[in-house]
Amino acid sequence: MARPQDIPEPTRTAVLNIECPVFEATPFVAGKPLSQRKVAIVSSAALVQRGEPPFPFGSTEVRLLPAGVPANALLMSHVSINFDRHGFARDANTAYPLERLHALAAEGMIGSVAETHYTVMGSSDPVGMAAAADQVSGQLKQENVDAVLLTPV
Amino acid sequence: MSALAHMLEERGTPTTVIALARNQAEKTRPPRALFVPFQLGRPLGTPEDAAFQRRVLLAALGLLERADGPVILDDYAEEDPNWQDTQGWQPPLPAAAAKPATAAEWQQAFAAELAALRPAWVAAQARYGRSIVGLAGQPPEGWAGFIAGFLAGGLPTVPQHATPALALRFLCDDIKAMYGEAAQAHGPAPSSRQVDAWFWRQTVAGALLVALRTLAMGSENNALKTVGGRFFVPVPWLPAA
Repeated sequence: MARPQDIPEPTRTAVLNIECPVFEATPFVAGKPLSQRKVAIVSSAALVQRGEPPFPFGSTEVRLLPAGVPANALLMSHVSINFDRHGFARDANTAYPLERLHALAAEGMIGSVAETHYTVMGSSDPVGMAAAADQVSGQLKQENVDAVLLTPV
Repeated sequence: MSALAHMLEERGTPTTVIALARNQAEKTRPPRALFVPFQLGRPLGTPEDAAFQRRVLLAALGLLERADGPVILDDYAEEDPNWQDTQGWQPPLPAAAAKPATAAEWQQAFAAELAALRPAWVAAQARYGRSIVGLAGQPPEGWAGFIAGFLAGGLPTVPQHATPALALRFLCDDIKAMYGEAAQAHGPAPSSRQVDAWFWRQTVAGALLVALRTLAMGSENNALKTVGGRFFVPVPWLPAA
């Protein structure tokens, strides 16, 4: 894309016509300068540590990724076969930019990197993810995280 | 991800989304989103280009400092240079000549191809320091025999997966991952299109996955029928009817 003309059919039609949740209003929380923020990642790639069971089809769960787990230990268990994984195979940062986030923290561009990151199955219905959002939000507050980067696949 | 951004921001934490599908972000209207013109699966763009990824990351995180929302939906202009095909790239194996028919022939041809591919796969792991093969829960030495069990009419499984359908689905993922890694073992990296064209059009493994899909769709096992029809072969790579 993810420009439409670059996606082969029938994935293009599916991407363009997918039903998306519509919200009446959009929240907007202000915050500190970026250089003072603690940042967490939420990835929709259904990442699992080697040896863990893959995400089940349609799962609305969230799994926690402790920052100490190296990105190289992660596999991608997303149900879809219609997106590229060869880039992730070469470099986990292509979809889960944990090392890049640490580099920004070392430069002082962000304040710090959260102790925990998060992953969900991006193809699942987000309407069913309220419990997952509660769980993530609770952990974010516990760790005083004040910025979340959401990365799709 | 845009919907989840809504939910997290409603619960009090500022969010920024990298969006690979602009139309979806337009519909869901998260607080902040950066649309990137990269292929699905690569939200940070180019693998192994830390400077490129840093620029994308800073553009997405930079939205957090803006006060002109909601909704902020920005476009990232820089293209992923790895989107273009790499001239002179050579696949790790020549095009397969074998056209197996029986389960035993498939097993023999696939096992031979796996053995021939192994040096490139090992080299890729050394080069990149990683592998994404591992969802199937069984070592490559067992793959050809396991699949032959399906082709011979059985429904084998492994302890790691609840059903034969899931065991085969995740083995298909591992096969594609191994070949993809081996294809990127040496020289300048190919585009994903080049890797996929080689895999689906020139390897025993690609033909085998198509054959497994056909078998699964004719199966009386409903789970295998559903999983095989949807999750073994991407539609663009199905043989022409």
